[in-house]
Amino acid sequence: MAKIYTGRDGSLLFAGTTQAKVTSWSFQADVEVLETTTLGDAQRSYTPGIQGFSGSATLLYYKADDGSIDAGNFLAKVISAGTTGVAATDVVTLTLRLADGADNNDITFSAYITSATIGASVGEITSAQISFQATGALTAASLS
Amino acid sequence: MAYPTLTPTSRNYNSGDYPVKTFRSQSGSESRILYGNRRTGMTLELQYDNITDANAELFLDHYDETLGSYTTFTLPTGALSGWSGNTDALDAATANSWRYDQPPQVSNVRPGISSVQIKLVGVL
Repeated sequence: MAKIYTGRDGSLLFAGTTQAKVTSWSFQADVEVLETTTLGDAQRSYTPGIQGFSGSATLLYYKADDGSIDAGNFLAKVISAGTTGVAATDVVTLTLRLADGADNNDITFSAYITSATIGASVGEITSAQISFQATGALTAASLS
Repeated sequence: MAYPTLTPTSRNYNSGDYPVKTFRSQSGSESRILYGNRRTGMTLELQYDNITDANAELFLDHYDETLGSYTTFTLPTGALSGWSGNTDALDAATANSWRYDQPPQVSNVRPGISSVQIKLVGVL
């Protein structure tokens, strides 16, 4: 059956767990190109280089009934006390999903959270904007 | 094996000189003696960017076959491609041939893709 996907079909999973209060996510795939134009050519030519993936998401800063902060997993990767900093073990598994019933169209990858922005403003719901950089190949890509 | 017929990404040519010895006196006047009538010592730098590793290997193989800088060779027309003037203006001058001035410099850009820099010098 034909379907037009909307925001209500989207979800974001952190290590396989659906995040409850995601208001948006975006994903970008890039391929760098290496120029192969030679002397005598009138048009430029290229060969594909390395792929890269990145994206962002916005989550509400929301406390569940069990006391857990919905955006806490993301924020803790870049906002944390101490001198340890961010380590290779801070890699996370993210899944960006567009669902049609039981039919899940997923993009799954390992990523580092590269930025987290959170603020408070009168009359507005507190939300956190996070950015991530994928590392390595996608482990699932079922959008098509 | 001949020099690879690939067209370079860029090319720098220096036309060399005739064998001239220059003497300068204390007064500042200059005297020059010409020891030959053939220009030599021309240099050619060829850059091949983002070529396949297989093509990059052709340069390394040719360098081995010419025993490095020992044996001279001629260049194919592909090496001078893109020059709209006479090709002999960029090639080794009369009675000259090219030899390697230094080993080929190979840079691995990404898996399967490399860049190669070649420096040649013309000798009689």
